[in-house]
Amino acid sequence: MEGTERVEAGLRAELRAYVEEAFLYLHPDVELGDGDGFLELGIVDSLGFVELVEEIQGRYGIAVDALEITEENFGSIDALVAFVERRR
Amino acid sequence: MTTLDADLRRAAATAPGKQALVAGERRMTYAELDAAASALAARLRALGVGRGDRVAILLPNGADAAIAIYGALRAGAAFTPLNPTIKADKLAYVLRDCEAVAVVTDAALAPLAGAARAQAPSVRHVLDAAEAAAGPAGPLPPAPISVDLAAIVYTSGSTGRPKGVTLTHANMAFAAGSIVSYLEMRTDDRILCVVPLSFDYGLYQLLMCVRLGATLILERGFAFPGRVLELLRDERVTGLPAVPTIFQVLTVALGDRAPDLPCLRFLTNTAAALAPATIEALRAVFPGARLHSMYGLTECKRVSWLPPEQLDVRPESVGIPIPGTQAWVADADGDPLPAGEVGELLVRGAHVMQGYWNDPEATADRLRPGRWPWERVLATGDLFRADAEGYLYFVGRRDDIIKSRGEKVAPREVEAVLHAAEGVRTAAVLGVPDPLLGEAIVAYVVPHEGAALTPAALRRHCATHLEDYMVPARVELRDTLPTTPNGKVDRRALAREAEAPAAAPR
Repeated sequence: MEGTERVEAGLRAELRAYVEEAFLYLHPDVELGDGDGFLELGIVDSLGFVELVEEIQGRYGIAVDALEITEENFGSIDALVAFVERRR
Repeated sequence: MTTLDADLRRAAATAPGKQALVAGERRMTYAELDAAASALAARLRALGVGRGDRVAILLPNGADAAIAIYGALRAGAAFTPLNPTIKADKLAYVLRDCEAVAVVTDAALAPLAGAARAQAPSVRHVLDAAEAAAGPAGPLPPAPISVDLAAIVYTSGSTGRPKGVTLTHANMAFAAGSIVSYLEMRTDDRILCVVPLSFDYGLYQLLMCVRLGATLILERGFAFPGRVLELLRDERVTGLPAVPTIFQVLTVALGDRAPDLPCLRFLTNTAAALAPATIEALRAVFPGARLHSMYGLTECKRVSWLPPEQLDVRPESVGIPIPGTQAWVADADGDPLPAGEVGELLVRGAHVMQGYWNDPEATADRLRPGRWPWERVLATGDLFRADAEGYLYFVGRRDDIIKSRGEKVAPREVEAVLHAAEGVRTAAVLGVPDPLLGEAIVAYVVPHEGAALTPAALRRHCATHLEDYMVPARVELRDTLPTTPNGKVDRRALAREAEAPAAAPR
């Protein structure tokens, strides 16, 4: 159990680092909580999501179906963690 | 009755229970949209806003934005739609330029409106759209008439200052009617709009649906292809307007898998040409939908359309003038050139703007004397040629405006922001062909000696001063920029360099 949590925490830190590096640096005023929507806060736009999906596919070797590119799977750090955990 | 206000009144009188809008969880009938617009208009009137006043609308796509637009018009005012990613300084500039008396916004954007208001003394009121729309009915002013100013739509100007395109009710109602006719739109159409209402392409989806009494499905933006497919299917969408970037993302995401969308009748594309591969992919993925290639500019909304059956015959053409208008490739005197020759495209019709707000010089450059003393012809600033059958082909631009993601960006506006960043000696911004964006905005920056600049910090600086779509996709640091013999930055040399294949790997 403890091991799973550690893996989850590592994944979360990794994804947050990526989002910060790729998107958040353009928005120094935004404080992004793990549950906050990227779209709602305006930190990732349509092309940003394309980038995000590609990164997730490449980094974790997940094949993402077009229909899976939704807010539930890619809309926040929490969503990304859950999606990657489920699919990798 | 050729006013936008009359369009809504007619739709509400003809089919009050018909669905007008679907926006997220919200659904509104024409009677509800009409009543909400009246409430907002009554509130504006009570605040002293009247005929010809300018009301800025700072809202994301949604029911509130639609209500605010028709509410401002019903109050007799002209509306100025603003991109919700606009930053305070530019917002203040636009508010000052059009001397807006009110800003209609929401809770999330109210602080931005408040910050800009401090620098825009004309603004007397900042209104919450939802609150105003839920207010009581009240006395309304006389309805606007067709020659009244309906909107000032800001577009990037080559000087780097945005220019306000002034449009009357007659201009906009005519353009909406013409487009509805060639698209063969119907009252039972359900249009999915993912482009912002601040962009005239998005705005007209609303105007056309209301004119017809059709249904508009309004999304905040195009972010999730999965969401768009879900809406296309669940909302039984019949028409999808988009720009090449969106179509490309959508078709790449879908691969060669065609979703089952029996209701989808047509797709429209504008802002930039579709790549042949995207046309092919769209046909494979949406086999039941007609594809319309179109060309236009805010100054007259739309210039031309390619009948879908011509797409295979002349895939590169943007077609023929829209119904009820003329457009021709002209020589320096404005006279038509023979087929095959390149010249500026001129446009004549009831859709042509009244001029740029507060800018007689720019107006004189674009609105030229016509056949009659009262007539003015629009010079598009774009170079075209026509084939022997009169179909139009885009050749290039007269100015250096960049088209990225379908939106116009003035290099000078981005350069001005970069020049204001600490440590920047000089900067040059240009558009570089990009398969996804049309053109990618690329900035070349020369730092002052010893300045510790990074591309990331410069992009961040841009992001805090410019709308999202204007932020350079790439910033490159240089020791020098190539110059022409008379000492100006040599943009052509930079462009050649940018388009050259990438250097060999390290």
